[in-house]
Amino acid sequence: MVGESKLSLFGIANTLLLICAAVATLYPVVYITAVSLSDTASVIQGKVLLLPKGINLDAYAEVMKNEKIPRAYLNSVYYTALGTFINLLFTAVAAYPLSQRTFFGRRFFMLAIVMTMFFNAGIIPTYMVVQQLGLIDSVWALVLPNAIWTMELIILKSFYENMSGQIREAALIDGASEYRILFNIVIPLSKPALASIGLFYFMGHWNSFFLPLIYLSDKDMYPLQVVLRDMLIYNTENDAGLVDRAALAPQAMKNATIVLSMIPVLLIYPFAQKYFAKGVMLGSEKG
Amino acid sequence: MRQSNLEAVKPGGGKPLSTRLEAAWKHIKRDKQLLLLFIPCILFYLLFRYGPLYGLILAFKDYSVFSGVWGSDWVGLKHFDKFFTSRDFWLLFKNTLLLGFYTLIFGFPFPILLAILLNEVRIGWFKKSVQTFSYLPAFLSVVIICSMIIDFLSPNNGLLNQLLAVLGFEKKYFLVDPGWFRPIYVISEIWGTMGYEAIIYLAAIAGINPTLYEAARVDGASRFGMMRHITLPGLLPTLLVMFILKTGSMIRIGYEKVLLLYNPMTYDVADVFSTYVYRKGLLESNYSYAAAVGMFEALVAMLMLLSANFLSKRIGGNGLW
Repeated sequence: MVGESKLSLFGIANTLLLICAAVATLYPVVYITAVSLSDTASVIQGKVLLLPKGINLDAYAEVMKNEKIPRAYLNSVYYTALGTFINLLFTAVAAYPLSQRTFFGRRFFMLAIVMTMFFNAGIIPTYMVVQQLGLIDSVWALVLPNAIWTMELIILKSFYENMSGQIREAALIDGASEYRILFNIVIPLSKPALASIGLFYFMGHWNSFFLPLIYLSDKDMYPLQVVLRDMLIYNTENDAGLVDRAALAPQAMKNATIVLSMIPVLLIYPFAQKYFAKGVMLGSEKG
Repeated sequence: MRQSNLEAVKPGGGKPLSTRLEAAWKHIKRDKQLLLLFIPCILFYLLFRYGPLYGLILAFKDYSVFSGVWGSDWVGLKHFDKFFTSRDFWLLFKNTLLLGFYTLIFGFPFPILLAILLNEVRIGWFKKSVQTFSYLPAFLSVVIICSMIIDFLSPNNGLLNQLLAVLGFEKKYFLVDPGWFRPIYVISEIWGTMGYEAIIYLAAIAGINPTLYEAARVDGASRFGMMRHITLPGLLPTLLVMFILKTGSMIRIGYEKVLLLYNPMTYDVADVFSTYVYRKGLLESNYSYAAAVGMFEALVAMLMLLSANFLSKRIGGNGLW
């Protein structure tokens, strides 16, 4: 666009404002990491501001020794892996028939699907369905009720529609079945789109806390977010003066758990940017 | 993936029923494989999206675990009556509306501002890093965000209270003070969504015709002038559509966050329909009553969404559909 090389007042103010914005979003993450690495005394005295005071990994050792957290971590990994896989499979398969212009009942199915974006029966009726299917206290309660996100389905359907139909034509003439076309041609060709929606599914599962909270009663099955919530509520009550103040130490431990829970997210974060921005855009335009 | 080598079978308008059924049957047979692939999708939507609608009849019954949904006694509008006449109703209504309204009004300008400012940056790497950092919160879970809020505001050793102490103020119990709940919710909401909503506006800015800027520059317009007279008007259509759609989903409060941040001392300002449904239904096992409340909320939400969608399409924008 316009190239302007000279330093203007406007340019400086702009830069400063943007630095503030970046710091505001980045700082909490840095702070939490610093607290998790600092020694307990400095944390309690409130000396930690940006950099950790006296690096130590006590909090992390504590987390590892804890009976709940490592198991919760593994639970989270399991739920996220299974959930994302099921999401992608269901969405990739469902989008294929819908992307075919002449598919039987296409208009009706699309209408029925899109309508679900406008209403929501609510927590209680959905809970009843899950209960009646006997899914309470099983992984499937976290996976099946949201196996397809309508928005992601529509995004993928649009992506399929924009693929060239010629390969499919040729494959059909060669006598390939629809299953083969879908799994051997269409899905491998839509890796970028699948990566984009997969990212949102992944984040949804890894960060989910409400569904496990209501569908799982067995504490051994809790994922990390629910365990974190328990620690958090404990701290809130502590702050509200509802709990004895002497038990303040877990703060570093809680932050260590948070840092550990952010690791997978921060690992994919740099790679995910491309797909993330694309996903947000697709979601807002939805082709 | 358009044409298939097979003819599209169109339901013939004026033909007799038997012919149409036959044509439909032929169509089904032709699409047999596609339909088989589609079965999981049909099952999913029937079970988990349409199925719960059946559970809504709970709202008109006195649900008991022993008799099940169907066997429980009909009670008509008893639960609705009870809800509408209770003190809770107006409280929830007010809280839900105010939280949604404040988030909409105060939150709306920020992503636009961020996008406009980012657009003015000429240094590629700086623009990219700021943008990348700005949507980091979108990757964090509600639990983590709330945990950060609680730490930050903690009266024991929270940063804000330390700062207040340095400035000579008394320590404040932010999270148990009803006056602070809404600001905390709204500010953290802005912090969390600003970055990724800016993506949409940045794309809209990128779509503005560059010759407009060139012409303005030839005419000696300042950068601020161009921002006001080209970028902002260029953003207007996107802005309008976003505003309408956001108004439509205004009462869909991020209840998970409320659930994590409220406590008995702030219920009076923080409790919204969804958190109330959760407490009454799942914690206190008042399934029928909670279902009635949930149904009311869902109806209002649906009406608002549909009108927003209609409006947005009327002015020529994208709807939710």
